[in-house]
Amino acid sequence: MGYFNFPFFLSGEGTVFVRLQRIIKLFGKRWGRMKLTLSLCIFAWVFYCTHFCSEEMLAGEHYAVVEVQEGGCITGHVIRGGDAGMPSIDLYAGWELPKTSQVISEKLEVNKVNNGVKNAIISISNIERGKKGVVPPIHPIIDQQKGVFVPRVTAILAGTTVDLLNGDEEMHNIHTKSMRNQPFNLGMSYKQRISKKFDHPETVKLSCDIHQEYAWIVVFGHPYFDVTDRNGYFEICDIPEGAYVFRVWHEELGKREKEVMIRARKTESTEFVYE
Amino acid sequence: MKPKGLFYTFGFLSAAVFSCAVLTVGMRPNTASAIEIPKEVTEEGKNVYKKYCAPCHGEEGGGDGPLSRSMLPKPRNFTLGAYKFRTTPSGSLPTDEDIYKTISYGVPNSTMIPWDILTEAQRASVVPVLKSFSEAFEYREPEPSVDVGLPLRPTERTILAGKKIYEEKLECWKCHGVEGRGDGPSASEQEDDFGFPIKPFDFTTGKFKGGNSPTDVYLRFTTGLNGTPMPSFAKELSDDERWYLTHYVMSLVQPEECGK
Repeated sequence: MGYFNFPFFLSGEGTVFVRLQRIIKLFGKRWGRMKLTLSLCIFAWVFYCTHFCSEEMLAGEHYAVVEVQEGGCITGHVIRGGDAGMPSIDLYAGWELPKTSQVISEKLEVNKVNNGVKNAIISISNIERGKKGVVPPIHPIIDQQKGVFVPRVTAILAGTTVDLLNGDEEMHNIHTKSMRNQPFNLGMSYKQRISKKFDHPETVKLSCDIHQEYAWIVVFGHPYFDVTDRNGYFEICDIPEGAYVFRVWHEELGKREKEVMIRARKTESTEFVYE
Repeated sequence: MKPKGLFYTFGFLSAAVFSCAVLTVGMRPNTASAIEIPKEVTEEGKNVYKKYCAPCHGEEGGGDGPLSRSMLPKPRNFTLGAYKFRTTPSGSLPTDEDIYKTISYGVPNSTMIPWDILTEAQRASVVPVLKSFSEAFEYREPEPSVDVGLPLRPTERTILAGKKIYEEKLECWKCHGVEGRGDGPSASEQEDDFGFPIKPFDFTTGKFKGGNSPTDVYLRFTTGLNGTPMPSFAKELSDDERWYLTHYVMSLVQPEECGK
């Protein structure tokens, strides 16, 4: 009977009927206290589901939320090597172009002083546990101004709602290509505002087919990511101690990876160079 | 109440109930609800797909069968789960009935023929095979179909209102051209989600790809065509405005050119 240790009211001598009587008697005695316990259990379960389950779902499949007491930081610089700092030649100089063709694309913006690359995304690719991600209550905005998406690159936590606007007095459309998040293709008139939620980690390309412009939304399952500013700098904080692989992604320059050791209460500094 | 009055009341009530019943039966949507579409991939479905669909759509549903090289528009690539002709909102997966309808009616102006040479059971058995090619069906569920409002009667007034929407509000002419010939200023640069060039539809041919009824035309710009640059205008237009645009678009057909 080693594997079949019944609860005490089921074990021992007696027919099935006697055992049932015992159970009823036991429940009858303690029903008042059990009601309280049961209702407390249900309350606790509902509270747990509303407050914790959703966050765990947001965090992605392989990410556990823990409290980070003594986290380390990383700051760094993404730069472009070679002659990127040289002023580029204006191929359209002296041309009389229609207004729609004079769009200045910010596909690759390199700072002329320190060769910093704008709009590169840094993230930790192999993090398994870390701080709780906070979905911003104010929705990030992607606007279309003069046919160009502003900002061009947006990094968000899974579960964030993004507001898409049209600031031009003409028709645009917003066409996304994605697999796990539901894609959409919607016409947008002047001053239209569309809110869309992105629930799954993925790189989503947004495009306007009428004006052949596009932008990127990168969705992460964890809060350890950053987008470089116009000087090419980034900063990620509250990382638990350990060695991590940092990945930098730029739409034109591609991916680079580097392993950096993070120590508690220390700020590491690193550099990513695109040759 | 007098007995005569009661008799009249009863007669009126029963007439009302009867007419309601007739109306509800008449208003039932005319879809392929009579056909049982299997949920699981069957051996029959695999065989039918291999014999009739795979030469163009490819063994793995990648739209890369041996015959596909000579075709434009290209056969559908099923791996993304992007289906053009649906009754569901933009970006959503199609319902089984939508896929069944496209197989049964075909796509005019393309190499997809109406597959009425197959039996209804054979056509239905292919549906789960097509769905099995895309992992999108594992992640997402098709959304419920959009509501089609009560049709309006086409008049000169509705066609004029539709013309205004076509030219000013939605700027459809930017791709489809002022006369609806698919020659707008943005027409030449269009690409679909798979990177193949795609032409905006030429309305003057009159062979609407998703079907020629006003409801079909209404559904195309309400739901958009997934995988193509054609967006959904569900948020831009009221129900009446959609019928106006439907009437205008259907008035662009040039009957004397259709025979060409």
